[in-house]
Amino acid sequence: MSAAILGAKAALAVMLVVAGAAKLADMNGFAATVRLFLPPGVAAQRWRLQAAVAVAAVVAAGELLLGGASLTTPAVAWLNLAVLAVASSFVVVSGVGYAFHRGRSCRCFGALSQRTFDLLGIGRAVVIAGLAALAVPAVPGSVIKLTLADQGLLLAAAVVLGCLAFTAARCLAITSQAMARRLS
Amino acid sequence: MIRIPLYLAIAQWALLACLALLLVVAYRQLGRVLGQSRTHPELGPQTGARPGRIGYERLSPAGGAEADGRRPAPVLRTFVPGDGEPALVAFVDPTCPSCEGLVAVLDRAKQGGELDGVRVLLLTTDPPAYLQISAAFRDTALEIGRPLDDAELAAYKPSATPLVVALDAAGVVRAAGTAARQGEVRAMISACLLPPPAQLLPVI
Repeated sequence: MSAAILGAKAALAVMLVVAGAAKLADMNGFAATVRLFLPPGVAAQRWRLQAAVAVAAVVAAGELLLGGASLTTPAVAWLNLAVLAVASSFVVVSGVGYAFHRGRSCRCFGALSQRTFDLLGIGRAVVIAGLAALAVPAVPGSVIKLTLADQGLLLAAAVVLGCLAFTAARCLAITSQAMARRLS
Repeated sequence: MIRIPLYLAIAQWALLACLALLLVVAYRQLGRVLGQSRTHPELGPQTGARPGRIGYERLSPAGGAEADGRRPAPVLRTFVPGDGEPALVAFVDPTCPSCEGLVAVLDRAKQGGELDGVRVLLLTTDPPAYLQISAAFRDTALEIGRPLDDAELAAYKPSATPLVVALDAAGVVRAAGTAARQGEVRAMISACLLPPPAQLLPVI
């Protein structure tokens, strides 16, 4: 059982790192999606784009930091609850997106994905939330006891993974834009 | 024998699996992007083409949602290229930042008199409510419409936004392509103001 719990925890952590880095690589694109969800009163019309970019940056950086922290410090129990809260918010966003913006790109993984708000997206969000719930129970301390060197190793791996995801997403975003311009 | 914590072993496998998945996804997406360029080799009509009319529902400035939430009766119109007036037809998406830039540049051009004698029509297939998302689209004085029949758009090949098509007074495409910056928009305005090709021929 511990292996399943730890597997879910690690998988979610690396997913958050990749998702956060990919969103940071295509901030304008993700901000366009965030703006769909901004209530009318959040900011004056002229500042809505800036507000959306700010919210998008916070969401992307938050995912990146939460994923990195969850991966490198598995003994911190409240991080599991934070991941569960974030995963639950994915379900809510997927549901609202399906209800009001069906077919629009969710840019959940920046340019790495072309997923849209659809029923499959809600299903994926529910699976992620299920994995997050699976990762919440406590496990024996011996299986998650890491030395400082172990944590450093995991942090380095998370940084490399984040950089790769950022580079891949950035390249894809730029390639798509360049293709559109070249074709014109 | 070195023993490592179970979590470290699992996390390493998760990282490796994620790296492999990232590679596969990146190559797949790149292939999709490059593949689209092969299957959709054209964006916008060719210069010299004569695209047809477009029926549309006018969303702005007179349409769209009213303050009390009720929608007024739809105003249906038809854009006919070559009715004696040069035209810029722009295919836009209110949620696309480049399209907002295009609308802002066109608004400034209109205020500056650069668009005098040029008909400007912005077309979007998004729901009318999306115009309220963007200040540029909500406040613009330019005409915004929603096409009624996708088949009529085929000749314009609007496979990406913002796509601007510059049509001269005879309805001939003089330029087409993505445009959002001031220089690009000015080039489009100049293109649609070019005299029809027939007028360039010497009179015998």
